[in-house]
Amino acid sequence: MDLTLAQGIVKASALLGAGLCMGMGALGPGVGEGFVAGKACEGIARSPENASLITRTMLVGQAVSESTGIYSLVIALLLIFST
Amino acid sequence: MAFTIEQIQIAAYLGAGLCVGIGAVTTGIGSGIIAGEGAQAIVKQPKANEQIFRTMLIGQAAAQTAGIFALVISMLLIYGRSDSIEGGWFKAAAYLAAGIAMGFGSIGPSMGAGYSGGQACKSVARMPKHGNAIMGNMLIGQALSQTSAIFALVVSFLLLYSIPEQPADISLGRLIVKTVAFLGAGLSIGLGTLGPGMGIGFVAGKANDMIGRFPDEKAKIMRTMFLGSAVSESTAIYSLVISFLLIFAL
Repeated sequence: MDLTLAQGIVKASALLGAGLCMGMGALGPGVGEGFVAGKACEGIARSPENASLITRTMLVGQAVSESTGIYSLVIALLLIFST
Repeated sequence: MAFTIEQIQIAAYLGAGLCVGIGAVTTGIGSGIIAGEGAQAIVKQPKANEQIFRTMLIGQAAAQTAGIFALVISMLLIYGRSDSIEGGWFKAAAYLAAGIAMGFGSIGPSMGAGYSGGQACKSVARMPKHGNAIMGNMLIGQALSQTSAIFALVVSFLLLYSIPEQPADISLGRLIVKTVAFLGAGLSIGLGTLGPGMGIGFVAGKANDMIGRFPDEKAKIMRTMFLGSAVSESTAIYSLVISFLLIFAL
């Protein structure tokens, strides 16, 4: 496959965008999920009898927080393979 | 523009500087947090000063790991690279990207390990009797938060040593695509490790704190810590996948 200069610049920008998208997109979910898990550790230590309830809340919260990471992944894959 | 050996050298030296520069800032902050919390802990509990001091030093050593990775990569960029002109722009871009990947990749893990170690010092001061359990948990938590730094290290090594040589008859468009893809791979894993590294460090710090307060619940706390860290790590793995795709699948 041979590209003209303009096509090459477009494709290159898409790839740089994919890298930035996944890199920055991973920042929020990573910090957020860590915060959830940290607070869950605290909660389980303070009231161990509610451990299963707290773990369930933690996992649901992390799943919601993960969604933006998955959006970034989808956009990055789209930028790589369909431009 | 004609390609000369100097272009590879410029990229490699720039990458080396960025890598150890950013890496030094963040490992410095991480170890500083531990030292600060350690000093405060000794003020509160002077009788346990030996245990606190030991926890502080071991925690600082673990928090330096990502900085050492950055140092290794920049040494390799300065002394361990190949300067053959056949590498072309591919090599220059890959060297710069390797520096970016490991430099940014050391931010999150160092901060995370710093928070974890700081909370461990505080916790040992509160419960010197359980110092060993707290220190064990601190080391496990710091190791978990360094995993994302290891992802960045792997991508840097790949960029340093597994990049194909530039074909002689490549078109300008194709050349721009490939070189920018390498830079994108470095940015993706570099920035992508920031969140998980800090997040896992926060989990480990809270777990250290709580093991000091409620030592009987150690098993439950550690189980939650592992589960939470594993979920938090997932975005670093997405970034790793995108980096591999950008390096090898284009």
